[in-house]
Amino acid sequence: MNKNANIQNDLTMLDPIFERYAGQFGSLITILQEAQDIYGYLPDDVLACIAEHTGNSPAHVRGVATFYTQFRFTPAGKYLIQLCKGTACHVNGAERLATSLRELLGIGDGETTEDGLFSLNFVACLGCCSLSPVIMINGEAYGSMTPAKLSVLIADIKAKELQN
Amino acid sequence: MKIVIGQGSCGLAAGAGKVFDAVSEELKKLNSDIVPGVVGCIGMCYLEPIVDIYDDNGALHRLVCVKPTDAPSIAAALCGDLDAVKSLEISPEDSSFLEKQYRIALRNCGIIDPCSIDAYISVGGYSSITKILSSMTPEAVIDEIKTSGLAGRGGAGFPTWFKWNAARQSVSDHKYMICNADEGDPGAFMDRAVIESDPHSLIEGMLIGAYAIGAEEMIVYVRAEYPLAVIRLKEAIKQARERGYLGKNILGSSFSCDMRIKMGAGAFVCGEETALIESLEGNRGMPRLKPPFPAQSGYKSEPSNINNVETFANIAWIIQNGGEKFAALGTPDSRGTKVFALTGKIKRGGLVEVPMGMTLRDVIFDIGGGLRDGREFKAVQLGGPSGGCIPASLIDTVIDYKKLGATGAIMGSGGMVVMDEGTCMVGMAKFFLDFTAKESCGKCVHCRIGTKRMQEILTRIVEGNGREGDIDLLLELCTAIKDGALCGLGQTAPNPVLTTIKYFRDEYEAHINDKKCPAHECAALLTYKIDADKCRGCTLCAKNCPVEAINGQLKAAHTIDTEKCIRCGQCVKLCKFGAISIE
Amino acid sequence: MSKIKFTLNGKECFAEEGEFLLGAAQKNGIEIPNLCNHPSVKIYGACGLCTVEVAGVPKLLRACSTKVTDGMVVNSETDRVKHSRKVALELLMSDHDGDCVGPCSLNCPAGTDCQGYVKAIAGGDYHRAVEIIKDKLPLPASIGRICPHPCEKKCRRQYVESPISIAALKAFAADRDLEENTYAAVPAESTGKKVSIIGGGPAGLTAAYYLALKGHAVTVYDAMPKMGGMLRYGIPAYRLPKSVLDAEIKLIGDAGVEYKNNVKIGRDVSFEEIKDSSDATIIAVGAWKSSSMRVAGEELDGVVGGIDFLRQVSLYNSGEGDAPVIGDRVVICGGGNTAMDACRTAVRLGAKEVSVVYRRTRAEMPAEIEEIEEAEEEGVIFRFLRNPAEFVGENGKLTAVKLQVMELGEPDASGRRSPVAVEGCFETLEADTVIEAIGQSLDFTGINGLEYNRRGNIVADEASFATSIEGVFAIGDATNRGAGIAIAAIGEANRAAAVIDSFLNGQMVSYKAPFVSERRLDNIDFSVYNKKDRVSIPKRSAEIRRNDFDAVNLELCEDAVKSEAARCLECGCHDYSDCRLIKTANLLPIEPARFDGKKNVHKTEQRLVSIERNNSKCILCSLCVRTCNEVAKKSILGLVGRGFDTVIKPEFHNDEIIVGCRDCHLCVDVCPTGALKLLK
Repeated sequence: MNKNANIQNDLTMLDPIFERYAGQFGSLITILQEAQDIYGYLPDDVLACIAEHTGNSPAHVRGVATFYTQFRFTPAGKYLIQLCKGTACHVNGAERLATSLRELLGIGDGETTEDGLFSLNFVACLGCCSLSPVIMINGEAYGSMTPAKLSVLIADIKAKELQN
Repeated sequence: MKIVIGQGSCGLAAGAGKVFDAVSEELKKLNSDIVPGVVGCIGMCYLEPIVDIYDDNGALHRLVCVKPTDAPSIAAALCGDLDAVKSLEISPEDSSFLEKQYRIALRNCGIIDPCSIDAYISVGGYSSITKILSSMTPEAVIDEIKTSGLAGRGGAGFPTWFKWNAARQSVSDHKYMICNADEGDPGAFMDRAVIESDPHSLIEGMLIGAYAIGAEEMIVYVRAEYPLAVIRLKEAIKQARERGYLGKNILGSSFSCDMRIKMGAGAFVCGEETALIESLEGNRGMPRLKPPFPAQSGYKSEPSNINNVETFANIAWIIQNGGEKFAALGTPDSRGTKVFALTGKIKRGGLVEVPMGMTLRDVIFDIGGGLRDGREFKAVQLGGPSGGCIPASLIDTVIDYKKLGATGAIMGSGGMVVMDEGTCMVGMAKFFLDFTAKESCGKCVHCRIGTKRMQEILTRIVEGNGREGDIDLLLELCTAIKDGALCGLGQTAPNPVLTTIKYFRDEYEAHINDKKCPAHECAALLTYKIDADKCRGCTLCAKNCPVEAINGQLKAAHTIDTEKCIRCGQCVKLCKFGAISIE
Repeated sequence: MSKIKFTLNGKECFAEEGEFLLGAAQKNGIEIPNLCNHPSVKIYGACGLCTVEVAGVPKLLRACSTKVTDGMVVNSETDRVKHSRKVALELLMSDHDGDCVGPCSLNCPAGTDCQGYVKAIAGGDYHRAVEIIKDKLPLPASIGRICPHPCEKKCRRQYVESPISIAALKAFAADRDLEENTYAAVPAESTGKKVSIIGGGPAGLTAAYYLALKGHAVTVYDAMPKMGGMLRYGIPAYRLPKSVLDAEIKLIGDAGVEYKNNVKIGRDVSFEEIKDSSDATIIAVGAWKSSSMRVAGEELDGVVGGIDFLRQVSLYNSGEGDAPVIGDRVVICGGGNTAMDACRTAVRLGAKEVSVVYRRTRAEMPAEIEEIEEAEEEGVIFRFLRNPAEFVGENGKLTAVKLQVMELGEPDASGRRSPVAVEGCFETLEADTVIEAIGQSLDFTGINGLEYNRRGNIVADEASFATSIEGVFAIGDATNRGAGIAIAAIGEANRAAAVIDSFLNGQMVSYKAPFVSERRLDNIDFSVYNKKDRVSIPKRSAEIRRNDFDAVNLELCEDAVKSEAARCLECGCHDYSDCRLIKTANLLPIEPARFDGKKNVHKTEQRLVSIERNNSKCILCSLCVRTCNEVAKKSILGLVGRGFDTVIKPEFHNDEIIVGCRDCHLCVDVCPTGALKLLK
């Protein structure tokens, strides 16, 4: 049980997904992906509802969901920072970026800051090897990053959020 | 006049989308009726964004490292003033990047519009499927592939015809042709480039395979991290269906086959074919025991064939040009071409496709232009987490499955990461074991706990806590994991460690015995010192030290408190007098 | 079905067409180790222990999933296979956070199952408790009273508040058992083999007991008038009433052991005679000689050895001699348990001023803290940082002890700060008697032909207890490192009995300590336990007890005993005797400590109501998950997470499933280790 267990979600939003994949073999992962698109993560009641509607046991649904890194079980922060840990980025200093991100945000891989502003994910390869090392914030790539550039970037976001 | 702008993922990341918008805007202002076109990735990632202008004579003017602010010059060029973009044109040196390549799998990448089936057809696309449906038996297709000598490009290098034949031989009404596009090697991106830049060649290649084995359903398993590839492939499937290349009675023949995409959800192990099947079936992606092989019992327990994207991208070309033409390229052991993702400390990084039989030197120095910033070549990593590091002394190794295998590395899926003397090889091994341990599915003991223990040992070595006997302990674990792990990924997980110990044992020993990192990369093993004679006391370093570890008065020599120092390297970069050294 | 032929480990074997190697091997009488396979569920291939080499195949193959083919040549015991298996087991054990047996039992030199008998005591079943104890130790009432209880030193309850009073519980149970319904093991049928044991102390008696139970004819020879050795003649009666010892020695005799007292080897019978007339001979003599302090004046009248003194008092107490004359002022030299026994005995003999002289401080004293405290209560004066420099006398009679004043210097190899003489600083202490209690050594007069080490002790193999003479074994104080505590001698005797039994049966099998899994202290959360004080043992007051040799300790009441026993944390695993994991881990010599690293540590959970789950012990064979899915068709259990962090958890959203779970338990049955426990 996670800390969001008591949040009630509108489970009727899942109905179109169940309709779309009714009776389709092997569609559990796709259903989970689409459910996450709706809720931003996979809360317990959503997992339970998916188990019930797909005829899978709750244990199987949780087992599958926790196997794949794409699925989240807590809400993501407003800014999702993805740090590329591909080989090219590693060779060009991704580890230093990882260290400064940990210092700047106080969170590690897969975690979200307490204020809900930032989530940090280390990803295998973003495919921008020529721009390495790369980070991506909400889908936008920032190439040839250095710890110094990174701290400016994070400070800018924080300042912007403070104004709002 | 015609203009196309490369819009692969890396081009877009470099700003190609903004360039596209700026050029479109500019052209609109000029009331020009020229509309910029879209192409995929040409492979010269280091020069992105790339804009290709074809003048009225059909000559190509390739503009590189284009910025949105260059839009007015580009618009001017399109209005006839080609001199306006002279400064942006690719240098002859950079042009040589493409000249030494031989492109089969990447033949259309960066040249045609990936979103247009007509563009694909205009370069001979779908002629192969037309040809086989009208004139070739499935057996003849398999024979042609056998003649070509094509081997699986995903890493293992298993003969494609053999797998197809095994699936062909399996009797069932329901067979499946599956494409593995779960490109997981953190340093390879050719599959993504092919789908983004030439999705129809994948569809055609798979169709030919489906026809050969007798499958009526095709599934492409794509990494979730490749959203653009999914969009382009979806569009391509829709177009192919509209034109009758997919669906019932394709091109009026008795052959019916359709295709769908399945998105992965983030698990490297799903690149292993039995794990991929588990994932397709909606389960945890944990490898199954082999036998039975997928050719006998795969997806839904039916005969299934799985190849990767690059393999399929070669198929239509082989049918079109004949297996012999493909076989003529390369070496007796390895036919045709191979695509590599050339990255790391390389001057010209990107996607290259070369005939087998070239040497690593040809690729790294002739095509890649050698190392960046005049640094010295130390090693090249091939095959990602399943591969190994090949040292500079073996730079003349021929690209061939056997010859590369003999070094301890593998051909792999094509990741080629170049390293210079500033790359710590123990750190490199740790990097890959971090990856493997994180990606282990957890099913078998050897991989689940073994890779974790290797990662722990490597971590303590790079942190300066290595113990005597750690190298032997690592080697022992390597042997046991190779022997005992359940799937191919587990069995090859020790390769990065084995090759770095084989070629760079002295670096391991330096870390363990002398607590030194020869490459000056492992932070815990570095000591920063200020040379009092060189220091002018400018205070720049002290002001910028994030942990206030540097002390000293203005115009007096500074010192570093090694207890406080976090070895971030900031001071070394800032010092104008070269007074700070790392030991 | 046609039979096909294959070769396994050089043996010609047969299998059905399509049969898997693992099962086929088993049918042919060859066990290939495995932990994730079970006939009721699909093949899985996780544990990697069943790998074999097949001729012509470069890779190792898993026997569970490899079909036998005609003419296949298989080997499941090659070096390569064994290496892979060894590493797999080491890796498994490196992530298995559980105690096979409790630290109490591991730290007991005799390996008594403390947790087992403490549990029986908590339930009031003293007979069962004694049955458990007597599997390792035939003198529980005696040992329970005098043992320095290494078990309690490692008892984990001390991290909650204080250790379980294991020794006192043992004595209580054994006393009850002696009073009524006394436990008596039934000896096996006579083997016709004859065993002679020289020395009737704890070691000799223990070896005699276990060998007699095996059906051998055992005779114990002892030079003293009664059996018991140091338990009788070295330990004062106020600690161990002789009636208790007598009762237990009688029970050993009842098991068929013949006792011959007042027989001194070399005097009454020759060693050769005994040896030649026996199928096996055991030397189990004690260390009866007090070590000399090498101080001038040792020859004076009034200077005696600690062991000699205690023996004389014991004989006197049993009416077999005179009391020693010690005068009013007695000085005991030494800080060990013998020194404590000697000073307290001197008090009881009526000495007016009894001093203990010790060259270090109280903190360094090797004696048990309880003994020191009780001696203090009884009026013994402790003089620390003093060392006898000379025994001073007149006319051959001791009058005083000259003491060198000491101070503590740097710590020595054992970590204790070693005493250093303060130059020129001396004190004089008047004395009528000095008792030297600084150690004891062996006297082997009459035992010839054996190999001795530099300390003068018999060289005996640590695993087989064999000496340099075929058929002659040696145990206890007489061997290798010399004198030790009684329970250590008893442990050796028990292990030696098994070895000697195998020797008598024609195939000697040396003792091998089993590999067991142990938890790391820092992985255990003790804050979950409620504090509950250790029972305090009632004692007679010092003023009264110092006047006689009656027992100091009074009997505990039964309620206190049961509630003390109930404090046990039950560290040892419920599944140890059935655990397939630990059995497999003991097939090869393994060293999991090489791979020490992160362990998955979890709290035990009871979400399944009738099943306790301890994921710290789980080896992820997934048999429970697969059985729940494939056999029970319930799918309540599932794998959660990935890689090293994978855990097995139940998942359900309504109470019905819990009820459905209650009457199945198939998961518990298939678990190869103690991760799942059925709650009664």
